[in-house]
Amino acid sequence: MDWECCWDREVISMGDCPNIREGDEDLLASQRRRILEKCCDCPNFKRDLIRFRDSGHPLSPVFSLVHEEYRRQKTQIQSLVSFLDNKTLEVRFLHELGSVLQSSVDLEEVLSVALTAITAGKGFGMNRAFLFMTDKERGHLQGYLAIGPRNYEEASQTWNEIASNDLDLQTLAQNFRKNKLSAERAKFHDILERLSVPLSRTDHILVKALDGKHPVLIEDAFHHPEIEPEFARLLGVDTFLLMPLISRNRRVGVIIADNCITHRRITEEDMRSLETFTFPVAFAIERAALYDRLQVELNRVTEASNKLKEQQELIVRMEKMALVGRITSSIAHSIRNPLMIIGGFARSMLKNTPESDPKRDFIESIVGEARQLEGVLDEILNYSDSLYPTRDFWDANYLVESAIRDTAEAQRARGCVCGFEAGHDLPPAWIDFKQVAYCLRTILQSDIDGTVEQGVISIGTSLEGDVIVIRIEDRSRCVSQDELDTMLTPFSSTQDLGGGLGLALCKTMLDKQGIPLNAESLPEGGLLYTIILPTRKEEQP
Amino acid sequence: MSRILVVDDEANICVLYSEELADEGYEVVTASNTSEAIEKLQEGQFDLTVLDIKLKNESGIDLLQKLVKERHDMPVILCSAFSCYKDDFSAWLADGYVVKSGDLSELKQEIARVLAKKAQKAKTGL
Repeated sequence: MDWECCWDREVISMGDCPNIREGDEDLLASQRRRILEKCCDCPNFKRDLIRFRDSGHPLSPVFSLVHEEYRRQKTQIQSLVSFLDNKTLEVRFLHELGSVLQSSVDLEEVLSVALTAITAGKGFGMNRAFLFMTDKERGHLQGYLAIGPRNYEEASQTWNEIASNDLDLQTLAQNFRKNKLSAERAKFHDILERLSVPLSRTDHILVKALDGKHPVLIEDAFHHPEIEPEFARLLGVDTFLLMPLISRNRRVGVIIADNCITHRRITEEDMRSLETFTFPVAFAIERAALYDRLQVELNRVTEASNKLKEQQELIVRMEKMALVGRITSSIAHSIRNPLMIIGGFARSMLKNTPESDPKRDFIESIVGEARQLEGVLDEILNYSDSLYPTRDFWDANYLVESAIRDTAEAQRARGCVCGFEAGHDLPPAWIDFKQVAYCLRTILQSDIDGTVEQGVISIGTSLEGDVIVIRIEDRSRCVSQDELDTMLTPFSSTQDLGGGLGLALCKTMLDKQGIPLNAESLPEGGLLYTIILPTRKEEQP
Repeated sequence: MSRILVVDDEANICVLYSEELADEGYEVVTASNTSEAIEKLQEGQFDLTVLDIKLKNESGIDLLQKLVKERHDMPVILCSAFSCYKDDFSAWLADGYVVKSGDLSELKQEIARVLAKKAQKAKTGL
């Protein structure tokens, strides 16, 4: 019998079998494999079988039966292989997902991965997903994040992008977080805002799903007895899947997934796969949320620790300063009494010493030196005081007036005048009155000492922005800028200028309060002191 | 002639005050500690007390409080090496405050002012 099919030939050539194409060359010389893989489905072979059956051979019905069974089994095996391939892909996907979720403690990253996994074609391939998180403090289940297209055009564009890039889940999630998370939040903001359910509402489908701890498939949502019409309207889809996120019996949240664009049916298998997926997601979300809270607490503890450290340093500093203050005061006290006795007796002696007495010069020297030493002592004590500025709100005009009044005697002795132009409606200045008054007095005294007889010192106060500016101007006195700078520098020789340590000390004291003191030699002659007083507490250092 | 009690633990300061204030026409009695001061105050009448704040191991502020309570008609001027006591509330009970200096002009002025005020008060009852 001549057969149409090539099954009876050990070796064939290319073109002998219509089912053998390029790439199948190894079948040309392998009769067994060729019969199993190609001939059984070949129309030529079927025709050969018919001819064999028609020949009346007693084995022909058996042969047909075996052939038919073989084909059925083959189809079944192919179907099983396909099923196993899908399961392998799913397991691989879940493994990948688990690895990513396990390695992350960042809530946004976890959410990005979870929602990407639900909607990615390589994942569960749902069109859209909403995440609700439980807010334990408020006792609410609140819409938190959503992902997915809002219409077909957007869907088509997104899916084309994903298809053309062929990225793995982690990269997809990273891209989503980097490029789309904020946009998706904004896109679904209106829906998420309104999707808030009190956890006490046990009749609400979301709370029911959460309490039931099992996924719920909702079909025909618009007519479903357990779905509120407003809820269905907000989602805008009649079939969706509710997946509770439970971690160690704690209610973490709920995910809603739907196929609002493709309307692909959600199967039992989808439900089972997604249920498996929700366990690691819930755990990862809870862990990330706990990590967030831990970070907040850690920051608080760090902040408290830093504050404590600062306070400790402050206490140590204050103790040191207090010690310095006590030592300074003690020394000053020990010095002042003998000094005043020396100076006092010298003055008494001077009073009773005739002008012609040659010893008078010596006694006058003692009086002068004692006075100078008392001045130095005052400065030391004032510096000791300046370590503890005590600020309050004070009238700047009153401050200037008291300084002018306190130097009245010196003005009279020198024959000069202080003219004061008080600013109107000044707010109170936030200063240590005693220290700033001392500084003003010292500046005035220094100027009175250095000015010409009958000189005029102009003083003015004004509000500039939110600070009060005090200007002390003396047009009759010429001092170079270098000399002025020297006067304001501690431990510089200023004897010629008559300023002593006073001005440098003033600058230091004012600096400690954050009050700038500037001394300027005017180009047209004269000098100008500027003191800027704050009017607000927060301007202090 | 006004009688002034000077309370200071420094003997030389007491001598200096005595001489200088006597020159100004005051009768001066001195005491070196609080018990001596109280004793002197019980012995005779004084128009004013000049009181040092640091009296060896005693506090002039304590004596000031006692004087204000028991001898409220007698003014007290605090005299100290420390200017910081000016800001101490307890020191505000005194009628005057002078920082010690070899130049006694300020002290003399303050004594004159306080005594004039006392005289005015006695005259007007205010």
